[in-house]
Amino acid sequence: MTKYAMVVDLDRCQGCRACMEACKIENNTVESVFWMYVFRFEQGEFPDTEISFLPRPCQHCDNAPCVKVCPVGARFKRDDGLVLTDFDRCIGCRYCELACPYGVNYFNWSKPAKSYYSDAIDWKDPVLTGVTGGAVPAYKNPDLEGKYGEEQRHTAGGGHAKGVMEKCTFCVHRVEKGLLPACVETCPVQALRFGDVEDPESPISAFIREKSPWRLLEEAGTEPSVMYVGGKPPSSEVREIERPKARV
Amino acid sequence: MATKTLTERPVPRGEPSLPQGIGRFNSGWKVFFAVGILIAGFGGYAYFREYTEGMGATGMRDVGTMGGATWGLYITMVVYLIGVSFAGITLAALIRLFRLEKLAPVARMAEVLTVVSLILGGLAIIVDLGQPIRGIINLFRYARPQSPFFGTFTLVIAGYLFASLVYTYLGGRRDAAVLSKVPSRLQGFHRRWAAGYQDTERERRRHWTASFWLALAIIPLLIIAHSTLGFVFGLQVGRPGWYGTLQAPAFVALAGVSGIGHLLILAAIARRTLGVRDRLRIEIFAWLGRFLLVTLLVYLYFMMVELLTLLYNTPEAEKALSDALLTGEYAWIYWGSVAALVMPVAILAYQALNSRWNIGWLVASGVLVNLAAVGKRYLIVVPSQTHGTLLPYDVGSYTPSWIEWAVVAGILALGALLIGLFMKSFPLLPLDESEREVMADA
Amino acid sequence: MRRTLTTLMVVTGLALMAISYFGLAAPWGASSVDNADPRMDFAGLVFIVGVVLTFSAALVYELLPDRPDDVPHRVD
Repeated sequence: MTKYAMVVDLDRCQGCRACMEACKIENNTVESVFWMYVFRFEQGEFPDTEISFLPRPCQHCDNAPCVKVCPVGARFKRDDGLVLTDFDRCIGCRYCELACPYGVNYFNWSKPAKSYYSDAIDWKDPVLTGVTGGAVPAYKNPDLEGKYGEEQRHTAGGGHAKGVMEKCTFCVHRVEKGLLPACVETCPVQALRFGDVEDPESPISAFIREKSPWRLLEEAGTEPSVMYVGGKPPSSEVREIERPKARV
Repeated sequence: MATKTLTERPVPRGEPSLPQGIGRFNSGWKVFFAVGILIAGFGGYAYFREYTEGMGATGMRDVGTMGGATWGLYITMVVYLIGVSFAGITLAALIRLFRLEKLAPVARMAEVLTVVSLILGGLAIIVDLGQPIRGIINLFRYARPQSPFFGTFTLVIAGYLFASLVYTYLGGRRDAAVLSKVPSRLQGFHRRWAAGYQDTERERRRHWTASFWLALAIIPLLIIAHSTLGFVFGLQVGRPGWYGTLQAPAFVALAGVSGIGHLLILAAIARRTLGVRDRLRIEIFAWLGRFLLVTLLVYLYFMMVELLTLLYNTPEAEKALSDALLTGEYAWIYWGSVAALVMPVAILAYQALNSRWNIGWLVASGVLVNLAAVGKRYLIVVPSQTHGTLLPYDVGSYTPSWIEWAVVAGILALGALLIGLFMKSFPLLPLDESEREVMADA
Repeated sequence: MRRTLTTLMVVTGLALMAISYFGLAAPWGASSVDNADPRMDFAGLVFIVGVVLTFSAALVYELLPDRPDDVPHRVD
């Protein structure tokens, strides 16, 4: 039995946010939606400040509160550990967003075609369409239209329709092909590791044995599949700096 | 033998007339109807904008990185409206179970209040869904009881609404039978409602039994239904300010407060517009006032417990939230709602202790407690999203857009119209002997 | 006839509610995370039908005559 998990090495993460970019391009998420998000924290008062970074993908919890509350079962957990959203079934009640303690859920507030930085980019500009062929966004990942898993449901990618929820899928469309999620693949310092924790021989299992990782919001009882080594859980003294333009 | 009310022209002698202003639309009513249609229509237009543009037309945004609230005014109204529905049918059931004959004149308006507020509550849920049509189908097809929403959808909207409709229908057959003897445009409607009721001894006994068991069955149904509504919030570990054992009982208590408040307002309006001062006597208002006082004290007790617990030891995760509620940006709503609950206690206690009741003050209390109820529901829904993230996101903000205000106003206007239309087609107060005689002679 | 039908409706309604809830929609003893789908489509609708059936029994109790030729006579 496979069970996927991710380990984030906070001693390596340099806050470059390349993973956020890669996730956006791979999954075609709309403006201000950050399935993978990296906190840039500051603590203390100048000149005694301390900077730290915390990547926060969906934690794909074993005891996922979002799965429990979905009234129609659009949010579900697979046997391989992935928690996915069926964008055909989702009714847009946004209960999963409220149940999640980590804030990883995003709702399609508008028509996706209108939500790809349209106030900054004129997608109809002939110079642009000569290159993109009219696709909005410029690179539309064809894998996102497919049905995945034994359950054969439409779960990959974002920005499919207004009024439905979406979140990090651990790049289910890549994982099923044997590839790594886009964020893991892209990280220039290999701060993200991904693999099968039920296989004792896998590199990630060895890493976990060696480093004894901790998890975010352990006390919430969600049993996340994303673990952290190095660094420490964010305390109440940290504050966010350098937030992206995150409000549509 | 024309019935005349303070605001109506007398019906010419010789023509049979229906009691309580049924079927007669005076200019005041027409203005009410026109204004209602305008507001409801504007709400409909606003919803059309929301439906076509997407819910970004509202002021809601994602919790977390987007710094918004994803449940806002609409869900506030859902909880508020379902809360109002609680008191109506409960009172009607209690009147039946404990044979509170004195309160019988308000039984039907209580039932109508429940039915209308449940319909409005259902509408308020639908306008909050990102995919409403899919929502209706998929809820029937895939509804999961593991989600607290299941109880809201099945027991509250479907079960409780149906039970209340059955109760109101059966309870109205006797009056419908009387009215169906009078030729009027509504005769067909009355006949169908009466469904052959002949007011025999046997039928009366049957109704007595049926209404008893219905009333008995409805009360646990609605306690379960309202508790699941509380569970929607109370079971979420991830939301400071929501997770807690008091949510379900506090929901039921505030529901009682707002429902009785509404009933007071409706009864006062009926008394004024139907000219039934002799039937809706001050004693009835006194009873409602006493009920309201007791339920208010129960709810204030819950509030005190909650406040003291929070002040004594605020868990880390709830500090930002409790500061925002008590002294920060939500403080005006919090303390305003407290005032709007405490003032009625003073007003009602004064009247109760002196046994001198004034309808004007009672209506004022009803209005105040309902404003407080909306405020408190808002404070349950929104602050835990903007100031209640467990990971250190920046605080958020939420302001409803004009679309949300318009849709809510439209929904409330629709409710007023439904009640107004009901009052013009069926007696709001159960017919008494004199009214039945007038009908029989006609 | 009327009494039997009423009792039957109440019992069937409650049974439908229990079966659809515990058997189909929220299988007894199963983890709520592993079971994101009801065992049978429209199990929720069956539950609502059960609720409606139970309360409709009151309508039957009041509206159905005891025997086909049973016409209530007006008592004045």
